[in-house]
Amino acid sequence: MPLAIYISRRLAYMLVALFGVSLVTFVVTRVLPGNPAYLIVGAMADESTVAAVVERLGLDQSIYEQYVRYIRQLLSGDLGDSWRTSNPVSVDIGARWPATIELGSTALVLALAWSVPFGILSALRRRSLSDRLANAVSGLGVSIPEFWLGLILLLIFFGTLEWAPAPIGRTLGEVPAHTTGLYTIDAILARDWEAFKAAAAQLILPASTLALVVGAPLLRVTRGFMRETMASHHIRSARALGIPERSIVLRHALPNVLLPVSTMVAIMYGYLLGGTVLVEFVFAWPGIGKYAIDSIAASDSIPVLAAVLLSAITYLFVYLMMDVLHFVIDPRTRT
Amino acid sequence: MNAGGGMDGIDRGPGAGEIPLLTVEDLTVGFGGGEDGGMSIPLQGVSLRVPRATRMSLVGESGSGKSLTASAVLGLLPEGARVLRGSIRLEGEELIGADERRMRRLRGGRIAIMFQNPRASLNPVHTVGGQIAEVIRVHSGAGRRESRNRAVDLLDQMGIPDARRRASDYVHQYSGGMAQRAVLAMALSCRPDLLIADEPTTGLDATLQQQVLDLVIEQVKARGASLLLITHDIAIARQTCEQIAVMYAGRVMESGPTEEVTAAAANPYTAALLKAFVTVDRGRMYAIPGTVPTLSGPLAECPFADRCEMVGPECRERVPELRRIGGREVACVKA
Repeated sequence: MPLAIYISRRLAYMLVALFGVSLVTFVVTRVLPGNPAYLIVGAMADESTVAAVVERLGLDQSIYEQYVRYIRQLLSGDLGDSWRTSNPVSVDIGARWPATIELGSTALVLALAWSVPFGILSALRRRSLSDRLANAVSGLGVSIPEFWLGLILLLIFFGTLEWAPAPIGRTLGEVPAHTTGLYTIDAILARDWEAFKAAAAQLILPASTLALVVGAPLLRVTRGFMRETMASHHIRSARALGIPERSIVLRHALPNVLLPVSTMVAIMYGYLLGGTVLVEFVFAWPGIGKYAIDSIAASDSIPVLAAVLLSAITYLFVYLMMDVLHFVIDPRTRT
Repeated sequence: MNAGGGMDGIDRGPGAGEIPLLTVEDLTVGFGGGEDGGMSIPLQGVSLRVPRATRMSLVGESGSGKSLTASAVLGLLPEGARVLRGSIRLEGEELIGADERRMRRLRGGRIAIMFQNPRASLNPVHTVGGQIAEVIRVHSGAGRRESRNRAVDLLDQMGIPDARRRASDYVHQYSGGMAQRAVLAMALSCRPDLLIADEPTTGLDATLQQQVLDLVIEQVKARGASLLLITHDIAIARQTCEQIAVMYAGRVMESGPTEEVTAAAANPYTAALLKAFVTVDRGRMYAIPGTVPTLSGPLAECPFADRCEMVGPECRERVPELRRIGGREVACVKA
């Protein structure tokens, strides 16, 4: 099947999925109690003012009409306005999205760096020290709630050792010149090392928290697939024909392991880019997750809808990218 | 002067003029048996001699130790198994305790193996030609292009049409019969002196079995190599190999020229196997009563005693040793 047909078919599925997500989210946010009109006019406003606002926002219409109106608005490229920040949601998200991308991507890189090599090593040396260690660390990672881990890391590295800066946002130094919106990358591009240090220092604890949480299942999956592959017939055959162990692991086993593991990586990256609500909250990280939770707390449903949709799109997009990658590198999907 | 020794000071024993290609003597392999002591002994003193340019079959029910014997010859015993006793020699060179680098050079170089389930024996993410070329590269040090060309030639010799194009295909694009031809090409790629074929036709269509078997015989003959054919099917053994060794419960029960052994079995177990296979042709199944004993320790009696129609009190006194009777060796006190 040619790649173009494959991708267009997948994009069509994506539209269906997004329609479903928008519908469910819309209904859920609208049936929640609380009248957002008060947010706009204040709690002390009189009945008629409130009623006027309700009418302007279309909140007096049926939920069906409201949904159609919302979708129409979306299709014209308008995400709506936030009642809480009184900004267009697109502007709010544009300001916060890079923060989430920076945190999520750094966390993913850190997670891959420790979990995949560790998983492979522990699969090759069963019951060794590294296998036991991998078991303990990944067990911790999958069982500790991420906000709790974040708090513990803060207690140790900020509260006690004072190695890390206070968890109050993305940088305590100068905000580097805006190019990508990712502070560390912008600082590197501007060769502003002071700004880079300040941004990286803020990033390291939340990213490490997420890296442990996300890396733990990755380690387990890597180890599982590696064990399975090393016990497979083709590995036995290769070994029986004198292929050196180095090539057995790197050339024969690893590609067979990385294919399924990369699917897991895509799931994790989609999760991270959707905004990691709790970790962003603990570290006061001004990303999409924190934006969504603040909006929910204020009964501000339009930004919540936008955040959920963005999260869904990101998820589906990362997934699509991974499938395209598989399509290109896995010979079995090509025919 | 050393008047008593041989010309070169090595006493090769009687009939030493011809050193067999492969000699297995009193090979005893145990599983487990740590502090808890629960050791099983799946190979209990296996002895075999495969002369140069000879085809020998190793016949027995599953669990008789055929495949484990092959693994031991390659120095690739499964985890937890170890050689307790005995000797494996390739043209006089002891392989038990040989260092791993030496064994790796022998594997695929001088002793090659092909397994059943050919499609699982090839790596799904590398091209078939690439896998054959790697074996050639590892053992001969040939360059990429040269080993690639030799791989294509080999596929061609194995009767794969359009070999140059098919070499770039992946195993999922091969049928079972084609894959077994490719596996044979890979096993023969470095002109081994001994090819071990472990149930090479099991799992193939009946029509393909004969083709693949004929090809294996033809190629082994053409290269002047020896064949050790592992099969549960004494009919296949009779049809393809000059020599036969019948295994039961981790021991060789009878071995010798195939014609002689199958014409008049000297061991009741061989007779029972023959009866089981020959009666299938007449529309009635003969099954040997009972099951293969589990080998949880050294035996104290003939392992076949419980299932043997000819059993007598002398069979219970000790384990029968292999004795030379005419052109064959038999382990039965009644023979």
